[in-house]
Amino acid sequence: MAEKVSIVVLVDAVGALSDRTLHNGNLSLVDDSPAGSRHQGTPDLITAVVPGQVVQWTPIHVDVQTPVEIEAIEFLSGVAVPPSDAQVFPPPGDPAVPPYPVESPAVAAPDATGSDGYDNHDLLVWEGVVPDYMVPGVPYRYRLSLKLHDGPNSVLHIDSPALLRV
Amino acid sequence: MPPRSRQPAPRPARPVTITAVIDPVAALASENLDDNLYLYDTNKAAGSSGFGTPELHSRVRKGDTLLWNVIPLECETYVALADIEIDPQIAEPTRKVYPGTDIVFWTAEVKQDLTKPVPYRLSFLLGTVSTPFTPTARPALTRPGDQGKEGR
Amino acid sequence: MAQQHGIIVLFDVENALRTRSLDGNTYWFDNMKFLGSVGEGTGQLVTIVPGTYFLDGSQATEQVLNWLPAALGAIPPTVPRNYLAEQERAHDRRTLEQLAALGGDGEVSSTEVSRLQQRVGRRPRKQAGGRGLTAAKLLDVTGKATSSAAAYNYPAPVITDITGQAVSEKIIYPAQYGSPDMVYDGWYWAATVDTSRPGVYPYTMHVQLHELVEQNDELVWQSVDLTCESSLKITSDPKRNAFTGAGLGVLPLPAAPPAG
Repeated sequence: MAEKVSIVVLVDAVGALSDRTLHNGNLSLVDDSPAGSRHQGTPDLITAVVPGQVVQWTPIHVDVQTPVEIEAIEFLSGVAVPPSDAQVFPPPGDPAVPPYPVESPAVAAPDATGSDGYDNHDLLVWEGVVPDYMVPGVPYRYRLSLKLHDGPNSVLHIDSPALLRV
Repeated sequence: MPPRSRQPAPRPARPVTITAVIDPVAALASENLDDNLYLYDTNKAAGSSGFGTPELHSRVRKGDTLLWNVIPLECETYVALADIEIDPQIAEPTRKVYPGTDIVFWTAEVKQDLTKPVPYRLSFLLGTVSTPFTPTARPALTRPGDQGKEGR
Repeated sequence: MAQQHGIIVLFDVENALRTRSLDGNTYWFDNMKFLGSVGEGTGQLVTIVPGTYFLDGSQATEQVLNWLPAALGAIPPTVPRNYLAEQERAHDRRTLEQLAALGGDGEVSSTEVSRLQQRVGRRPRKQAGGRGLTAAKLLDVTGKATSSAAAYNYPAPVITDITGQAVSEKIIYPAQYGSPDMVYDGWYWAATVDTSRPGVYPYTMHVQLHELVEQNDELVWQSVDLTCESSLKITSDPKRNAFTGAGLGVLPLPAAPPAG
């Protein structure tokens, strides 16, 4: 099994800012997991992982001069996000899935302040180790928030991607 | 065809060009065009002022040809001048494209000498948004001798 | 910043040629105001270059600068550079068609011929021994052929070199590159930045403008070499893990998995 899984977050920043959404083809998620990820190239990517692997997210812009950074990655808990299609596994209502408590994301917003006082999200490395306690066969959805330049309309998010332990 | 009658008094051969430099990505993300719009013209020697601000004051005279165009900071991002609203007794801008392209510019002739500054309104199309963006600040045409705002 | 920095330099060519100086006739822009660049749209731009390094000290994100010159009062750079050549050919084609039509029926009026002569426009000669532009027909600022030496569209300013402290201290490594992007005619100046030494580093841009002058009843392009200055502000900060604020850790998954 690969030691590292890379998830590339490919964004059309001008399209997303114009449409005010990461849908409409403005966002594409792709990973290099050999373990059978689903929905490659869409915002609904389900990345197949195993405990001990390092997962890394990297933002890439379609247009080389537009800024695209990851603002936050928050694993959702308590928010039942319906799967985007019937292909998603496991089947809903699986008795192995325990009921699960409503919680807000546990992680504080990461500090991206540079030494000159300006926020610079390029300082942040979005990677972490898949924990042993991850329950197999259940997608752990996460909110992926992207920052496109700066200002009240600059942060957009989706709740559809997930990690899934195989 | 009869020979042409006397030429009119010579005008500057080039139009007075007013160029809007826009950071379209910053304007879309911040929803603030004023802070991301920089206006310039080619009439600095005649006393135009407010260079680099959205409140450019362009010195013009009756008979001057004006030309407005746009330079985006991200050269691959779509930006176009969508409209110019100005008192039609002063100028009636018309939309044109550089021949053989879809890149827009506007031209107008100054119909009369101005007695006071004439503010006007520019609006722009940015990215793929169908509604034009209009800055709050307004540029103006002024007569020679009018004091405009200082450039920053 | 992970995106490339585009630094646009807008020249008031007419004033610069008149005063033989770029002082007050140069307006600089980059797309980094939100990261701390100052002086956007003025002659005093300081471009921020926010460098990053890994905990082992090695440089992380590679910072790339691109310089893009533009002439105020000219056909804007969004119109592809090969546009001028294409417009010229289109004019010639139409003129040839009209010439062919004239030849058909007997007498050709001198007015017609002179109208066509105007249409053909004027084709300036290159300055003897000069560098720079190839001989091309004059176009005005709306892309039409012109016979007036006072109405021509200013050719795009040409960057000929980038020097100064930022270069001599090996902070940037500028060079001219080829590109498939026809917006800039396949050539542009770019540099990578060594962000390991924070500080403010000025640099000098050498620019060639072109002026059309009448010489012995002929139009001749003359090049005018001028310089202008800007600077880079380099910062350098360590990369940090976004989940832990420090080094690599376990992903913050909820203790219990979400329900279906």
